[in-house]
Order: sequence, then structure tokens, then C-alpha cells
Amino acid sequence: MPAATRTYWLTSPCRIRRKDESLVIERDAAPSVHIPVTDVRDIVACAETDLNTSVVSLLNRHRISVHLLSYYGDYAGSLLTADTSTSGETVLAQAALARDPQASMAIARSIVDACAFNVRRVIDRKLLARPYTVLQESIREATTPLHLMGAEGTFRRSAWEVIDTKLPDWLQLNGRSRRPPKNAGNAFISYVNGIIYARVLTAVRLTPLHSGIAFLHSSMERQRHSLVLDLAEMFKPLFAERLLLRMASRNQLKHHHFDRDTNQAMLSDTGRKLVVQTVRDELAVTVTHRALGRPVAYDELLYLDALALTRHCLEGTLYKPFRIWW
Amino acid sequence: MIGREDIGGVHIKYLHHCRRQLWLYVRGIRPEHLSAAVQTGEAVHDVSYPRHSPVDLGAARLDFLDGQQWVHEVKSSSRPTDADRAQAYHYCHQLQRLGVEVQGAVLHYPATRRTHRYPYTPEAAAQAEEDITAALATAHAPVYPERLPRTGCRGCSFADYCWTE
Repeated sequence: MPAATRTYWLTSPCRIRRKDESLVIERDAAPSVHIPVTDVRDIVACAETDLNTSVVSLLNRHRISVHLLSYYGDYAGSLLTADTSTSGETVLAQAALARDPQASMAIARSIVDACAFNVRRVIDRKLLARPYTVLQESIREATTPLHLMGAEGTFRRSAWEVIDTKLPDWLQLNGRSRRPPKNAGNAFISYVNGIIYARVLTAVRLTPLHSGIAFLHSSMERQRHSLVLDLAEMFKPLFAERLLLRMASRNQLKHHHFDRDTNQAMLSDTGRKLVVQTVRDELAVTVTHRALGRPVAYDELLYLDALALTRHCLEGTLYKPFRIWW
Repeated sequence: MIGREDIGGVHIKYLHHCRRQLWLYVRGIRPEHLSAAVQTGEAVHDVSYPRHSPVDLGAARLDFLDGQQWVHEVKSSSRPTDADRAQAYHYCHQLQRLGVEVQGAVLHYPATRRTHRYPYTPEAAAQAEEDITAALATAHAPVYPERLPRTGCRGCSFADYCWTE
């Protein structure tokens, strides 16, 4: 996202207070810090956080959202600012596309394809070549978003099996499990996916799109931000799977980073801090963008993808979901 | 959609810089607050001439009006452009409509410590009228205007939107 401001990550329990026209973060274990509010784009709270009305009104004035991740690492909710960025005409165009089965299927297809492309790119090109061609075949034949999701699930299952061959025993996934994650590898992936969801939500809120009207997932169901689920698909492999493989091969993940029971696992306090720091640093990595001709941070890629979708809605330019190009 | 009285200084500025920018702006695409350049401009506003208070005309908001009825406008760039001048004329036009006998506009460029004076002549008034008509026509156009050549987009806060693929 554009570099005028930045994201603040809160990794230890704290209280956000308002001090005049700015913010103070008070922590139990460490001295409090003053943050100029004009420097904040949004806040990701990964630990217990208290805040009150005066803070909320200040945050709202500066269009700052707070994303809350629960103790178990899943996405707990967000304090979103008023819908100041959405534009009526864009939302209507978006809704018209979502209502049109042909147009929305075209978008859903390209999202699933781009997602699988990125998974394959990150995990193993050779071993996933066959499942990928099968997936492309079924994408062509699919007639409803449900079929698409089924095809994606099949591809994902082969991808999980391949990723297990590259992980040490104790980190292997043995199939994806959620709520709660069954083992350490799943806990890691769930946690990173939660962060990515929150980041995409911020990105979408900065564009005029409506976060509830989706193309692949069903719109406005159970008060989820369905569009965010759509857009997060392509970015999950870039962060979750890629970082898991990288951290495993570098031996950065240790047993004490996880709290494990017989049938569930989650990141421990130290583990959570490590993962958050890694993801945060990864989001700041830049690549040269071919169309914009300048270095762009991974974080900004989420925003640019949402902008491309905006353009597709408003002007009808072809929407090409994010693919890893480097 | 907007009417003649809703056209403000920003509309006129965008009209002269890039019609596509204006078209997007009236459709609620507002990436300005994300741009470092825009933030710099706001900071320049905040620290230049702090004793003067802005005049709010509803759609338009000018930096200040002095005792001799000259409109003053502070610009953060160092290079005067046609868009700056057209914006100043627009403010004169708006004031004239409210019954203020404006003399003209003074543009301040604190970066280079220069000022430019533009008296509000009948030709300027005619141009201001024309600009409003052109802005409305652009805003109501059903099809989006094309992008500028790449170099024209430098520093524009809409560039990410227009050029991402």
C-alpha cells in the first residue's frame, strides 16, 4: 500500500490511549510509546488490546482500521472506519458484475487459476504439473462457483501432500485442518492466513469496492467480507506456504514455538512473535512492478490487485489476478 | 450527478491536468490521502501563512481573501501551471457570483518564494465559465477518458489505479 503511512503491529498485550491528538501505546512489561497518528495506516493487534471511545473517534477521523487477531491466532474481527472510500457507482458496477453469472464466473475462474498457479509456483512446479492441468481442465468445465471450489479443493489436497514431503516430520500437515488446527504446520498456516485476510481487508477498504460483494465466495454470507476471501486466495500461497517452507528449511521454527495438545496445536507466545515479525518483514520486501515500473512492496501488491478489480468493475478492463512473476 | 454549482477548485485543477482524473474523481475514486505528494501539499498549506483563514464557498474552498479583494492561493509545487491559474480564476468566478467584486488572484509558490498575480479580466471570466462547462461534460461522459501519456502521470495519486495491470 502506498508508502505515506505504515502499519503498526502490536505483539504484546497493551492499551491504546489517546493523548491529545495522538496515540500512546501502554504496555505492562515495557515503557509506553507515543505514536504520531498521521504515521499510522492501520493497526494489527496480535495480542490482547484495550481501547476506548476517544481513541476510536480519533482513529475514525484519520481513517485508521484496527484488526484484531484472537489468542488462538484466528481473525477475531476489525474496528473499521466509516465507509468513506466506497463509491456508489463502483459498488453498483461491482454488484451488477456479481449478479451476472457469466461475468462473475469469469472472475471466479481466473481467481482459482491464479491461486493454483501461485501454489504450484511456491511448492513444486514439477510435482504439481499434472494436478494443475487437471485443475485447468475442470475450471473450463465448471459451471458454478461451487464446482470451482470443489476443483480447487482437489488441487489443494495434492498440494498439501507434496508440501508434506518437504517438511520435517513434526511440521507435516497430514491434510489441512482448521478450527482448531490439528498440528503445528496447520497452526502456522492458519495464523498467517488470518494476517493476510486482515491485510487484504485493509487494502479493499482503501479502494472504492464493497468488501461484501464477492465473485467466487457467496456474497454477504454470515457477515463475512466475502470479497476479501476472494482476493486473499491468490496471496495466501505467497505468504503462508512459502514462509512455512522457508522457515522449516532454515530451521527457524522450533518445538517451543508451538503449544501442542493431543488433537490441536497453536503458536506459543514466542512463536507468535516470530511469525508476526517474519510476515511483517516479508510484507515489506519489494519487487519491481512491470506495469508501474517502480519497486512495489508485497503489501502494496494486495492494494494494486484490489485496484485492478476496481478498474474491471468500473471500466471493463480485463482483470488478471495476481500471479507471482518473479 | 453533480451540477454547475457543485464544481469546485479541485474539479477545475483536474480538468486541466487530466480529464480521466476528473472522471474518476467524480465517481468517488479518491486515492489522494494515500499519496505522499498530497500529504506534502497539505503540510505546505498548514505551515504557510498561518495567520490567514480559509474561505469556504461550499464546493470551493480558497486559502484567503485580502482587504483589496484579491484571492490568495498557496501552491506546494515550484512550477506555475495552467491548472493553477484556471483554479484561481474559478475561485474569482465563484466569488463574483456571490456579489464580491474580485480584483484577481495571487498564487503563492513558497518553494521558490515567488508569487504570480492574475487580474480577473472579462477574458478570464469567460474562461472560467468555459471550464465549468467542460468539467461538467467530462464528469457526465459515459465512457472513461483515456490515460495521459506515461510521463504525464508522474506524481499523480491516481497513477497506481490507472497503470496497474
